[in-house]
Formats: sequence, structure tokens, C-alpha cells
Amino acid sequence: MNSPGFLDIVSFGPDGWGHVLAAGAWMTILIALAGIAIGSVIGTFGAWAKISGGPVPRAIAEAYTTILRGIPDLLVIYLFYFGGSAVVTAVGQFFGAEGFVSFPGFVAGALAVGVTSGAQQTEVFRGAFRAVHPGELEAATACGMGRVLRFRRITAPLTLRHALPGLGNVWQVVLKESALVSVTGVVELLRQAQIGAGSTSLPFDFYFVAAMIYLAISTVSGAFLNASEHWFSRGVRRG
Amino acid sequence: MNIPAKSTSPVAIGLRDLHKRFGPLEVLKGISLDASEGEVISILGSSGSGKSTLLRCINMLEVPDSGTIAVAGETIRLRTASSGKSRPADQRQVDRIRSELGMVFQSFNLWSHKTVLENVIEAPIHVLKRPRSEAIEEAEALLGKVGIADKRNHYPAHLSGGQQQRAAIARALAMRPKAMLFDEPTSALDPELVGEVLRVMRGLAEEGRTMLVVTHEMGFARDVSSRVIFLHKGAIEEEGAPHEVFTNSKSERFRQFISK
Ligand SMILES: Nc1ncnc2c1ncn2[C@@H]1O[C@H](COP(=O)(O)OP(=O)(O)O)[C@@H](O)[C@H]1O
Ligand SMILES: [Mg+2]
Repeated sequence: MNSPGFLDIVSFGPDGWGHVLAAGAWMTILIALAGIAIGSVIGTFGAWAKISGGPVPRAIAEAYTTILRGIPDLLVIYLFYFGGSAVVTAVGQFFGAEGFVSFPGFVAGALAVGVTSGAQQTEVFRGAFRAVHPGELEAATACGMGRVLRFRRITAPLTLRHALPGLGNVWQVVLKESALVSVTGVVELLRQAQIGAGSTSLPFDFYFVAAMIYLAISTVSGAFLNASEHWFSRGVRRG
Repeated sequence: MNIPAKSTSPVAIGLRDLHKRFGPLEVLKGISLDASEGEVISILGSSGSGKSTLLRCINMLEVPDSGTIAVAGETIRLRTASSGKSRPADQRQVDRIRSELGMVFQSFNLWSHKTVLENVIEAPIHVLKRPRSEAIEEAEALLGKVGIADKRNHYPAHLSGGQQQRAAIARALAMRPKAMLFDEPTSALDPELVGEVLRVMRGLAEEGRTMLVVTHEMGFARDVSSRVIFLHKGAIEEEGAPHEVFTNSKSERFRQFISK
């Protein structure tokens, strides 16, 4: 058997690693997207709680962001994975199953990334909302918009305008954090590169290709974020 | 100006004994006022006398502590919350009544992420559920009326203050309001832009629209309004037809105020 070379790593042929690396990259993107989406829901409620919630929601949101700041992200993933597994195992035993039932790594990872980025997005959204001119929101109230309509048509787009630079940073963090999810056994890009590195004599080549793929993902998504920033900043006077 | 005969015109906005305090400060000390349909009432008073608060109580941007507000004969229902504060009893009623009152702010408050046309059609489509094409047609007519039809696709940030305020007036008109509330609509404008906004407002007055206008423009108060109200420390200190109060007011404070 021929030992593979660099070209086999990027090849999509029968002996190539292209397919599995692409699958890993796709998994990385899925984890990051799920994580940022979960985080944006948490962040929206977190920001709302901090801005206009009563004392109890505000205290909960404060505690949440403070605690998440102080815990290593990897530990959050373990907590979700083993916490989730403990719950699933208990439920399994209740229905008569035996032994350890593991929680799906993808779900644990996406939740963990979501909860971590949710803390960051809470702060991003809160800061962005502060930058919105209150008169524009008052004008929406004054013409009879209810809460939900006003949020959807006026508050959210105006807040997003100021939030997008911060969200871009959160996205980059989430993308890197998705690599940590490999500890749950999810085969994302880094895990796939490790597998390749371990089963060939080309560890550097695999990690190098993985690095390039991460770079490509972040470059493309960066361009997309720039375009959205441009879109949401329409009507802002420049220069 | 002609003063509508109060006995025949129905009341558009009726206020009874409004009280409002912010903490220890009592800002409105029992204001009662009936604005008949077609009346233009100028609300005068020095800074801090409660003019904005009075206007903002009418569409519940501030909730009065006591007293009643009726718009076109419909009284806004209030309740006392467990905190002791006064609250709207029915938020949907408040939203609906707000949609029947056009408000124009000192700082324009156009939605900066929407073009002028989008600003004008936003609430007619989403609050009043009017068909989009109809809303656009009406908006374009209104923009023509306030003289900025050519700016329909511009964003507010690219307009002069006078143009922005005229767009804001068009936005308020697009709701086909039963009455309009103006809170110092020309105070944020450069002096040379005040005239174009006042001209539009004068046109609305001549159409017979019901308008409550907080203003420092004495010319407008004197020439356009059917009634003048002078607020002092949250109470109505002087009230009457402009030709009466401007020439022989019994209030020493009001005479001092207009001589400044
Ligand atoms: N939201 C508020 N909270 C506390 N004080 C307020 C608030 N709004 C207005 N005030 C105070 O109420 C008084 C009347 O304000 P306002 O109605 O804006 O007066 P005007 O419009 O006549 O200048 C002022 O002393 C002002 O500082
Ligand atoms: Mg004021």
C-alpha cells in the first residue's frame, strides 16, 4: 500500500480524504450555526432582561453572564455532555435500559456553545440597544405599534445595526469554540484532522489543511457579515 | 381665524383634571381641556411648565396619575397597578387610540433605517393593515403635499431638518388621524428652515384639522390657532382666543411671557 501524500488529503478521489474533511468542515459549520442561533435567542432575552426586565429577570441575567464569564468553555461543554448524559441515563433506567446512555454530542456541543455565546450576545445586544435613538422607538409606540410589531419592525433592525460588529466577533469565537466540541466525540473539522493525522504519517499536512479550511470559513463568513453590516447600516450617514 | 362654534362641533380631545407627578415633582396639577373638532390650540409656556407632559399624556406616552382622557368621545380606561401606579387597563385600546392620533416630535424621530416613503407607509400597512399599494399611493400624495415628493427614496439622514420634519408630518397624516399633536415641531430647526414647516402646519389648520401644538412661535399662535393656552407650573394660567389674550390678558405672567 502506498503511503498517502499531501494531494491525497485534499483529493476527493477514492483514496482521498477530501470527502471526510469536507464532512468535518460541514459539521463545524453546523455546530457554529446552531450555537450562534441558540445564543442569539438567549442573548435577546438576556438583553431584554437587563434593560427592561423586573428585578428578578435582571438578577438572573446578571448571574448568567457573570457565571459564564468565569467558567472555561471546555468545562461548559463537559457539563452539558455529562449532565445531559446523566439525565438521559436516568430516563433510560426509568424505562428499563441498563448502563450509561450518552447524550448526543452534537446537541450537547451546540447547547454549550449557545449558552456561552448567549452570554456574549447578551452584552452585545444590550450595548447595541443603548445606541438606538429612543425617539425612534417612541415614534413607533406613538403610532400604535404593539410590543411585538415594534420589536420586529423597528427595535430589532435598529439594534442589529449597532450589534453586527460585535456579533462578527462572537461568530469568530464560536467558530473556534466549535473545535472544543470534538471532546464529545462529534467528528467536526479538528477531530477529523486528528483522525487523519493519527492514521497516516502526515500529521502536519492534515492540521495545515484544517487550518486553511478554518481560515476559508471565517473569511467567507466575514465577507457575509460585512455585507449584512452594510445592509443594516443603510440610511446611516457616512463620512 | 374663525373659531368653531363649540356648541356644534363634537369634542375631539377631552381632558378632565389631569394630574401627573414625577417623583416629588408635580408636573400637571389638574388640567381640563376640550379641543373641538377642527380647533387649533397652541400650548405656550416656559420650559418645564409641563407642555410636553400634557401632550404625551394624551396618547399615553406618559400615563397620568389621575383624571380622564377621551379621544373622539372614547375614554381611555386606566387602572391602578399593585405598585399604586396608574396603568392603561387595556393596552389594545391604547394602541388603537394612539393610531388615531398623529404625533410630531421636536427631534423628528423618523426611522433611520427606512426611506422617507417607507417611513410613511410603515404604520398604515402594519398597524392599520391597509393594502400596500393603497398605502404607497396615499403616501406619495402626502409627500407631494408637504413638498418632498422628490425625496421619497432618501434616508432621513440625507435630508435637511425641515425636510425631515415635513416627512414626519406626512407620516403622521398617513394614519388619517382624528387629531394631531405637535411638540415644538420647529424648535430643533435652523431658523431658515422654520418657515417651510410652519407653512405646512398652517395648511393643515386651514383644512380644518384638529391640532394641539406646543410651540414657541408666537406668530403661529397668534395667526393660525383658534385658541391659546398658557401653562405655568403645570396649571392653565391663561386661556382664550389669540386676539383676546395677546392684546389684553389679565395674567401678568402671560403678558411677561409674550413680551420676551
Ligand atoms: N420622564 C420624566 N422623569 C422625571 N421628570 C420629568 C420627566 N419628564 C419631564 N420631567 C420633568 O417635568 C417637568 C415638565 O417637563 P415637560 O413637560 O417636558 O416641560 P416642557 O415641555 O413644558 O418644557 C420638568 O421639570 C421636567 O424635568
Ligand atoms: Mg417640552
